[in-house]
Amino acid sequence: MKILHRLHLLFLPHEKNNHRALLIQPGFIAILIALYLLNQSVLKSLSIIKPGILGYSSEITWSKVYELTNAERIKAGLTPLKYSPLLSKSATAKANDMFANNYWAHNSPQGKTPWDFFKAVNYQYSIAGENLAKDFYDTDSVMRAWMNSPTHRANIINPKYQEIGIGVVNGVLNGTETTLVVQHFGTPLNPAVSDASYPPGAVAEVPIPQVLASTQTIINPLTVSKVVSGIMFAVILIVLIVDAVITMRRKTFRIAGSSLGHISFLLIIFILLLFTRQGTLF
Amino acid sequence: MITEIKRHLLSFLLLFFGLLIALLVFFYFSYDPHYQRRVIYGTAVFYFLWSLYHHYQKGDLQFSLVVEYLLVALFAALLITGTLL
Repeated sequence: MKILHRLHLLFLPHEKNNHRALLIQPGFIAILIALYLLNQSVLKSLSIIKPGILGYSSEITWSKVYELTNAERIKAGLTPLKYSPLLSKSATAKANDMFANNYWAHNSPQGKTPWDFFKAVNYQYSIAGENLAKDFYDTDSVMRAWMNSPTHRANIINPKYQEIGIGVVNGVLNGTETTLVVQHFGTPLNPAVSDASYPPGAVAEVPIPQVLASTQTIINPLTVSKVVSGIMFAVILIVLIVDAVITMRRKTFRIAGSSLGHISFLLIIFILLLFTRQGTLF
Repeated sequence: MITEIKRHLLSFLLLFFGLLIALLVFFYFSYDPHYQRRVIYGTAVFYFLWSLYHHYQKGDLQFSLVVEYLLVALFAALLITGTLL
């Protein structure tokens, strides 16, 4: 009975909780914030204590990235890009370099630019570009994110590019296992010596150091954060709605924040939470 | 609740309009979580400032209410930014 009474005070307004469910009183909101921060700290500590235990399982393949990139170009009325094993080598080297030196950017902390990777594989270009993505689960999501980003989209549908190379590499970055996707675009200075070929099936015989993504992930930190946040939001929203209905019926007068204001604000944030997506671009 | 809206129509219209703008801007920046994070922080700050205006208009602005809104805004901002990489 005592437990029931405590639950009542926690979730429903009552004279003993000052006519307001405890869960939506400032003290309990502060406790929820502390619990959430604790959860985030545990996840962060895990990535330091046991690197690789956190991660993003991925089904990304270079062939699908290539296929979808050309599909977007065709949709834009452009010619498809030829697949270049040299550019794939430079893209894969870039991804490996990011893992080796633990950075996530176009330029490395040692000052290496994307163009250094092109030069390292002896790719002579008149124009070149680079797209990066990490922490995505599938190729469709990567492509969707790139196409939604004006700068990445500009690379994908740039009519000046003739060739593409793709690197999809798994590894541990900042203690979290992830998949890095690198697109290298280019137009060779002298097309006669270019190694590019089309269609992509033809390059299957060319040995490229391509690590295809398929990780054995234990805990996905994004999913954990999303589930914990979602549960907290849902509980608070339900309690707020029930509280608003009960106090309206009882015509309770109390000095408290506007229930309608809290519900509207948290509902919008909850909707945004549902639409937060995976992955980041560079 | 409808009575509350009618009584403070301008205040609630401001809130709904602000939240709608936040929603649209968030989806506009769907390609970049860094911008999305700024939108969330901006929305939380907007909500907190709105609460000051709302309760000032109502004439019941108190320190305990300021703390409550601050915690709600912080709660929302923290929880959602934790899901943005």
